[in-house]
Amino acid sequence: MAFLQIAHLEKSFGTTRVVRDFDLSIEKGEFVSLLGPSGCGKTTVLRMVAGFETPSSGAIAIDGRDVIALRPNQRHIGMVFQAYALFPNLTVAENVAFGLKVKRMPADLRAARVREMLALIGLPDLGNRYPFQLSGGQQQRVALARALAIKPHVLLLDEPLSALDARIRVSLRAQIREIQRELQITTIFVTHDQEEALSISDRVVVMNGGVAEQVGTPFEIYNRPATRFVAQFVGTLNLIEADVIAPATGTVRIGTTEVSLGRPLPAGRVTLACRPEAVSLGAAEGRPLLLWAEIGKVEFLGAVIRLRAQAGRTALSLDMFNRPDTPPPAAGDRVQVSISPADLLVLEA
Amino acid sequence: MGSPRFWSWAALVAGVLYFFLPLAGMFEFSLRARRGEYSLQAYANVLGDPQFRDTFLYSVVAALFTIVLGVLIVAPTAFWVRLKLPRLRPVIEFITLLPLVIPPIVIVFGYIRLYNTSSWLPLTGTAAGTNLLLVFGYATLALPYMYRAVDTGLRSIDIATLTEAAQGMGAGWFTIITRLILPNILSSLLSGAFLTFAIVIGEYVFAALLNRPAFGPYMVWMGGNKAYEPAALAVIAFGITWVCMGVIQLAARLGRHNRVQR
Ligand SMILES: Nc1ncnc2c1ncn2[C@@H]1O[C@H](COP(=O)(O)OP(=O)(O)OP(=O)(O)O)[C@@H](O)[C@H]1O
Ligand SMILES: [Mg+2]
Repeated sequence: MAFLQIAHLEKSFGTTRVVRDFDLSIEKGEFVSLLGPSGCGKTTVLRMVAGFETPSSGAIAIDGRDVIALRPNQRHIGMVFQAYALFPNLTVAENVAFGLKVKRMPADLRAARVREMLALIGLPDLGNRYPFQLSGGQQQRVALARALAIKPHVLLLDEPLSALDARIRVSLRAQIREIQRELQITTIFVTHDQEEALSISDRVVVMNGGVAEQVGTPFEIYNRPATRFVAQFVGTLNLIEADVIAPATGTVRIGTTEVSLGRPLPAGRVTLACRPEAVSLGAAEGRPLLLWAEIGKVEFLGAVIRLRAQAGRTALSLDMFNRPDTPPPAAGDRVQVSISPADLLVLEA
Repeated sequence: MGSPRFWSWAALVAGVLYFFLPLAGMFEFSLRARRGEYSLQAYANVLGDPQFRDTFLYSVVAALFTIVLGVLIVAPTAFWVRLKLPRLRPVIEFITLLPLVIPPIVIVFGYIRLYNTSSWLPLTGTAAGTNLLLVFGYATLALPYMYRAVDTGLRSIDIATLTEAAQGMGAGWFTIITRLILPNILSSLLSGAFLTFAIVIGEYVFAALLNRPAFGPYMVWMGGNKAYEPAALAVIAFGITWVCMGVIQLAARLGRHNRVQR
């Protein structure tokens, strides 16, 4: 049995069901992100795990023990909030020591643990400062140290980075992941930023409307989205309308081009989807789907150049690597693009 | 001259004169206890009067009990209402305003009817019981000020998240209120406390009708029986109020040092 087991979790506020039939198993030491648009119920799931919200139905077990009946202060959970929530009347060291004091840890052990935690977050000398004397990034690191000091079973982070500016966000998320790996602590990380979720998680739960649409590794979520929502929410997606002309062999017609996908398809109209990096300039071996397109916009992103092109009625984004010896096409150029059928996802129409 | 600067100065001067002339007059009068010279004789008389000391001490003690009672009632209530029952806030606010609307004389007659010697809880039968009743009454009188002060203090911190953060680390309600909420609203509590103090020290109706040896009735008695001493007493009472005000300001400034930046 998994370390943290959530089964058939439901939550309604009045008549609105904000979390529906939510299942999730997390192994010990795993880092799982809840990713989804605003209002999809991420925070509500997290708060039910922490015990701040009572589920309407369903089960939550931590380390084999049912915790539904336990109050938040009995669940042994570390929580980090978007707004830091440091205690303004206590110094950094006192903040970190708070949970240890509540647990009546002897003073000398406590001081040692506080030192250890401040070293862990890389702020060994700021113990005597008050929260208002710290930057946002520093405050959030202290909040992390405070949550980890009590050695919780599970660490819950609710959009811990969204109040910070972009540069700090990226460095702090790497630091959070590093600390999480070092302590091997089971973690749920809530975010609505897909790049954040994909870059630091072992697994990602994509939520929509209170439902877990897909649970998988970042690789699976990105490359094999299970639903149309996941495909569109995570990353950029090209959508290509196609008519199935031979369902058994999966032959489709796109504009005037016909190509076989080599797998059975439903009859009628389908929507095919592919990532920008699956579309290449020019014809190539193994890419039988060839389309003529007119380049619309050229965005130079550094290592990657993103091209916007129009192929008939289909708008395409494609990424090419920047090579100093190969200048990208210019807007207005007519080019041939190719796609491998294996890279095409079929979305139910 | 029609410059706005001139008129604002004029308004300030008029205000200062309006407030300070009577005070200055009273102060001057209080110095004239000896014929033909200024002296502090009236102050010496007041301060030397054992009744002054007894009644003042009585009122100070009553004020301290009132403050403790007020904080014990108001702080957890305001905290709980803000945290769990935000929809009840207007109701609670209305209730705390009632003592401003209902005259003290009505309240105290209600008390006397409810708690007289032939009632189910004969508090007025003993001196201790009456003292208790007086403190209850004072706590009621101070309720609007205490509640407002505490509520303002609570508004300045994010109590919901702070409470959850503390709960997550294993803290129970007692720890949360004593270690987290009270310290963070300390400056508001202090200003509520000193307002309470100022109210209790000068209160007359409750103390007189419950027949307690408090400072308020003493001042009134003095006013009816002496010439210069009441003026001296009034100056002293003003002084006490002002010291309270100063301490409130100081408390507010101290509190700012550890406030969260937003
Ligand atoms: N206490 C509450 N009472 C009523 N409705 C609530 C309550 N808390 C949350 N909701 C509703 O539940 C839904 C899910 O809210 P939740 O906070 O879990 O979303 P979220 O995914 O965390 O969104 P965000 O990314 O904006 O934080 C929202 O529609 C919200 O309005
Ligand atoms: Mg949220």
